[in-house]
Amino acid sequence: MLPPLKYHLQTVRVRWRSTLATLASIALVVMVYLLVQSLAAGLDAIATQTGDMRNLMVLRRGSIAESSSLLTIDQIRTAKHLQGIAKDKSGAPLASVDTLVVVNHQRRDGKSMANVLFRGISQAGIELRQQVQLVEGRWFAPGRREAVASTKLRDRMAGMEIGNEIKIGADKLKIVGLMDGQGSAFDSELWLDSEEAKGLFNRDFYSSVLLRLEDGADQKSLISRLDTDKRLQVRGILETDYYREQTKTAGPIRFLGNFLAAVMSVGAVVASTNSMYAFMGKRTREIGTLRVLGFRRRTILAGLLFEGVCIGFCGGLIGCVLALPVHGLSTGTMAFESFTEVVFHFQITLTLVARAMAFAVFAGLTGSLLPALRATRMPVVDALKSA
Amino acid sequence: MNIATFIIKNTWRNKRRAALTSLSVAVSLFLLTTLLTALRELTVPPEDVGASLRIAVRNKISLANTLPAKQRGNIQKIPGVALVSPLTFFGGRFKEDDGIGFAQFGLDADLLIGIFGEANLPPEQFDAFKKDRRACLVGRDSATRHGMKIGDRITVKGGIYPCDLDLILAGIYYGTIDDRNLYFHHTFLDEAMGNWGQVGTWWVKVKSAEQVPEVIRAINATFANTSAEVLAETERSFQLGFISMLGNVTAFIGVLSSVVVFTLALVTTSTMSLTIRERFRELAILKALGFKNGEIAAFILAESFMLSAAGALLGVGGGWLLYSKMSVSQATAGIFPFFEVTPQIAGAGCFVAVILSLISAVPPIISACQLTVVDGLKTLD
Repeated sequence: MLPPLKYHLQTVRVRWRSTLATLASIALVVMVYLLVQSLAAGLDAIATQTGDMRNLMVLRRGSIAESSSLLTIDQIRTAKHLQGIAKDKSGAPLASVDTLVVVNHQRRDGKSMANVLFRGISQAGIELRQQVQLVEGRWFAPGRREAVASTKLRDRMAGMEIGNEIKIGADKLKIVGLMDGQGSAFDSELWLDSEEAKGLFNRDFYSSVLLRLEDGADQKSLISRLDTDKRLQVRGILETDYYREQTKTAGPIRFLGNFLAAVMSVGAVVASTNSMYAFMGKRTREIGTLRVLGFRRRTILAGLLFEGVCIGFCGGLIGCVLALPVHGLSTGTMAFESFTEVVFHFQITLTLVARAMAFAVFAGLTGSLLPALRATRMPVVDALKSA
Repeated sequence: MNIATFIIKNTWRNKRRAALTSLSVAVSLFLLTTLLTALRELTVPPEDVGASLRIAVRNKISLANTLPAKQRGNIQKIPGVALVSPLTFFGGRFKEDDGIGFAQFGLDADLLIGIFGEANLPPEQFDAFKKDRRACLVGRDSATRHGMKIGDRITVKGGIYPCDLDLILAGIYYGTIDDRNLYFHHTFLDEAMGNWGQVGTWWVKVKSAEQVPEVIRAINATFANTSAEVLAETERSFQLGFISMLGNVTAFIGVLSSVVVFTLALVTTSTMSLTIRERFRELAILKALGFKNGEIAAFILAESFMLSAAGALLGVGGGWLLYSKMSVSQATAGIFPFFEVTPQIAGAGCFVAVILSLISAVPPIISACQLTVVDGLKTLD
């Protein structure tokens, strides 16, 4: 027979003062865990939300990132005219020849600088990337020194409003539109015409080519044809796969989150053990009484542990609520692959919440284990005699 | 029994609680020490001797854009310039599956010691490096990690540049702030790239520290309105530029540190209050014996100070010991090549401990002072 559930819940409620510290420390562990892991989740979201399954990216063989790839016009011509590449209305291959330039640009605060990715694209580049939508103004017209920035970039960088001009050497680039990449990596980019980018930044090479595959085209054999061509020296990769591989930046953040959570939870368990010992000490007589009433040691222990679980659960909930406001907030950091600033959002996912709650319940349970064992082991007579 | 023994006995009366309280202080202070060290490593680049005489010149557009090699003559002509060398980040991979890489730089071999004079290198190894255009130098940390020996062939696959480097290890240097890098002849890269006539950055050594601002201004002015505008800056501000690129990460670590300190204060205060509340009857007896409020406050303060001090010793001292013994560089895959708990950081940790002991003593002191003898003697638990 178990002591009534109500008894335990009432105890937790009545003695809220002594459980406050435990509750708070568990809540803060959960909060810190969620804060840090939601950063990593935000970066991961970009990796999984960018690209189109039907697109094939061609890079120089051996290059780690698009921004450090160099392609000649000959390599591009060969890649564009491979079997299995979709054609546009005029019969030309549906392809965007991209020129990527990393540009050191002033942040909005006016004090610090960040590297921004300027992406020169062909006209087809817009059509190939359906997830990017124009939200204000118009697309750039080739040959007129125009560019379109993402709204998120405009919010972080200085002078990226429509109508503004960005100075590049002796030339100027005018912002004529704003785009939204819907949570993709393109939210951290500024787009302009590819040939113009080559001219403005004195580039001899292009960076990459994005190709649309024909419906039902054999992706694998096409990629292996590119990869094994000795003369061509390029590699092919599905656009979605390329972005999925860009996870280097999230790694250290995830490590930091786990490390903090691990060390902090040791602190929380110690703190909760401490207050539980004091709490149980006060209840020795009460526990003795329960024993006299005929409750078994084991069931009393289970009940006391249940109290710990309750406290852990409540602490976890509070921690989740405390962390929740950052969900969706936009922030930025340097991506290790491209060497440019990537804009992303804190993302508190259900998996993270579940993990954090499991953590909290476990901490509550561990914290009350030793004190509860001690309290239930005491002989009944001694327990009743205690002050 | 004198006052000191009285306090010590009281502190250790409930040994388990004293130990647990000190331990929770220790864990939090350990975390604080770790975060502060990480923050310092991220925001304060280690400084080399001689850094004050060095100027870094990069493409104004960004570091990822190269500079024409023909700029060299123009820089050399500027008054106050002692030496100029190209320095190009090759960004290649040494071993395909190795997460812990090291950076490779191409530079002017003759000028290596003249500009980056901090490196310790046996003269015969430096001579061997200078003589062979395929030769390279590797820092001791990398050489140890990868088990390299002098005379080994080292192949680095190009990540940024479309060529691979096939090098021979001529020497192992040590004693710089980062003994991990690989240095090779810039001319070797030029050949591999088909004499492309570009360099990554220029590094300039100035004759005297007073001339540095003038030389920076002159270099920037020389290439203004050319097709390759440059940004010259001191080595220090060049490194700080990297930190600024990390964006909000540094501020974020600062927030986390505050949360840790806050948790710590909360937990310790509540434990201290608990300890004192249990002793209300005793405090009332002390008062009845004629002890003043001030003296009782001093007892409580001393007790809380002892617990915090034990925690600080364990947390800050333990952190210092741990990070000076373990290889943080290896554990973090090279993100933190160094992880030094400086005296300032240790001091900050101890300072927090002292403040904490003050804060956590306040609520118990207030309730102890408000306590009347009669009420105190009536307290049951």
